[in-house]
Amino acid sequence: MNFLKYLKDKLYMIILTSISFLIITLTLLAFKVDKSVIIAIFLILFVLFSIIFLTEYFRKKRFYTELLTNVDLLDKSYLVLETLYKPEFYEGKILYQALYEINKSMNENVNNIKNQWQDFKEYIEMWIHEVKIPLATLSLISNNHKNRVDKKMQTHIKRLEDYVDQVLYYARSENASQDYLIKEVNLNVVIKNVGIRNMDDLLENKIDFLTNNINVQILTDAKWLEFILNQLINNSIKYKRNIKNSFIKITVKEEKEKTVIVVEDNGMGIKETDLKQVFNKSFTGENGRIKSKSTGMGLFIAKNMCEKLGHKIAIESVYSKYTKVFITISKDAYYDILK
Amino acid sequence: MKKIMIVEDEKTLCSELVTLLKNNNYEPIVLSNFNNTASEILASNSDLVLLDINIPYVNGEIVLQELRKTSNIPVIMVTSRNSDIDEALSISYGADDYITKPFNSNILLLRIGAVLKRSNNETNTLTYKDVSINIGKGLLKKGDIEITLTKNEMIIFSYLLNHQDRLVTRDELMTDLWNNDEFINDNALTVNISRLRAKLKTIGYEDAIDTRKGMGYILS
Repeated sequence: MNFLKYLKDKLYMIILTSISFLIITLTLLAFKVDKSVIIAIFLILFVLFSIIFLTEYFRKKRFYTELLTNVDLLDKSYLVLETLYKPEFYEGKILYQALYEINKSMNENVNNIKNQWQDFKEYIEMWIHEVKIPLATLSLISNNHKNRVDKKMQTHIKRLEDYVDQVLYYARSENASQDYLIKEVNLNVVIKNVGIRNMDDLLENKIDFLTNNINVQILTDAKWLEFILNQLINNSIKYKRNIKNSFIKITVKEEKEKTVIVVEDNGMGIKETDLKQVFNKSFTGENGRIKSKSTGMGLFIAKNMCEKLGHKIAIESVYSKYTKVFITISKDAYYDILK
Repeated sequence: MKKIMIVEDEKTLCSELVTLLKNNNYEPIVLSNFNNTASEILASNSDLVLLDINIPYVNGEIVLQELRKTSNIPVIMVTSRNSDIDEALSISYGADDYITKPFNSNILLLRIGAVLKRSNNETNTLTYKDVSINIGKGLLKKGDIEITLTKNEMIIFSYLLNHQDRLVTRDELMTDLWNNDEFINDNALTVNISRLRAKLKTIGYEDAIDTRKGMGYILS
């Protein structure tokens, strides 16, 4: 609370008091009272008035200063009420009560939205499980009756699966509840699953799938990591260059405290101006405009999921040369994630 | 022929599974009554069960727990629930494998093959005519002649051998190779097959692998 501003706010009081001082002095003069008495009365009134004024100021100063500094210091400023003493002066009590009511109604609001989001998420999960049954049936039918046309059908069914998965993991990664299970996982198995999932696409696009040193144990959720890697591989396939020896290479760098998975391709690459934004929601950039099928969600979801799992994801690229994505997994971060 | 029990309440999916299994020389049995799933499975005397988790009356995990009280019959859980937690739970109840819908049919067949193999304690040695095969060491032995196959060649040869009575597509071979962490491309597969042919020629089986153009291969 700023004293000068407070003074300015109370200017009318000071002016009124000064006027009453003046009137009193003039009245006393009119009655020919002795000058020394006038000065004495004037001084007593001045001291009394100052005491009233300052007491009032300090009573309020304590409450408001605390309110303002705590709002500033807290990262969740809506919790400020919990840190304050209940004020003794009337205006403060009104403010305190109002804040309490506001907080309460906002909490109810937030809870409603949380519940709605939870319901929606549960519905999405259920819907996805349902939709996977006809997808599985379609995939089996096209496999059981193989011919040229059906191969294309498989590709499109696979695309459907990938989109459906994207919704599922978006719902899971945006949710506050914990839908993952961190345990020791063999990276080899995860990469194999992703590889087989994309085998047809990779062979058809003549992209070599190379791996090196992937037989390591890491702490992660296998299904989540599989989704993340699948997003990266999908991107590499989508944004390949029309050159002879296209490849996607997955390598692992083992360091003392962390494991780094590097997914590298020699595809279109990403322009420097776009590079900083690729993890943003709905960002499609230059490449996305060329290939109209971008949703701009893949990398955003992947980053979200990495953050939840306690992994780091970073990207490096030179336009029309290569793209490298690094996923860093700490070796002893187990307890950090559980927090 | 191995009997495989399908526990799946989605009719179309079920009948496509039947077709798939029949095409691959298994004898599928379909469970039609879900009232007493566990005892029906036991009564069927099957060699393996494909068990869906979301089935009528009781869920698949409970059925599995009930089965495990009395039987070691191999069980592969087939489900559209795809979280690690569900998988860990099924495995802890005693499932031999866990596969999520929608699945790649080749992978399903490979998994079925692997689980059956494990449960029968099949040995590592196979034979082709008068040639004995050691898969682990990658050795073919005919009389005194010994030839070594590379890992890829052995995967291809043993797959052809295990499906000797029918045509094997390139797609199947490719899936088996990738499933064994050999992520090779189309050219490499062609090269591997011609190398395998050349090696078989040295032990007198020049035309053992027959190519059906645009379809696949057959081991005669």
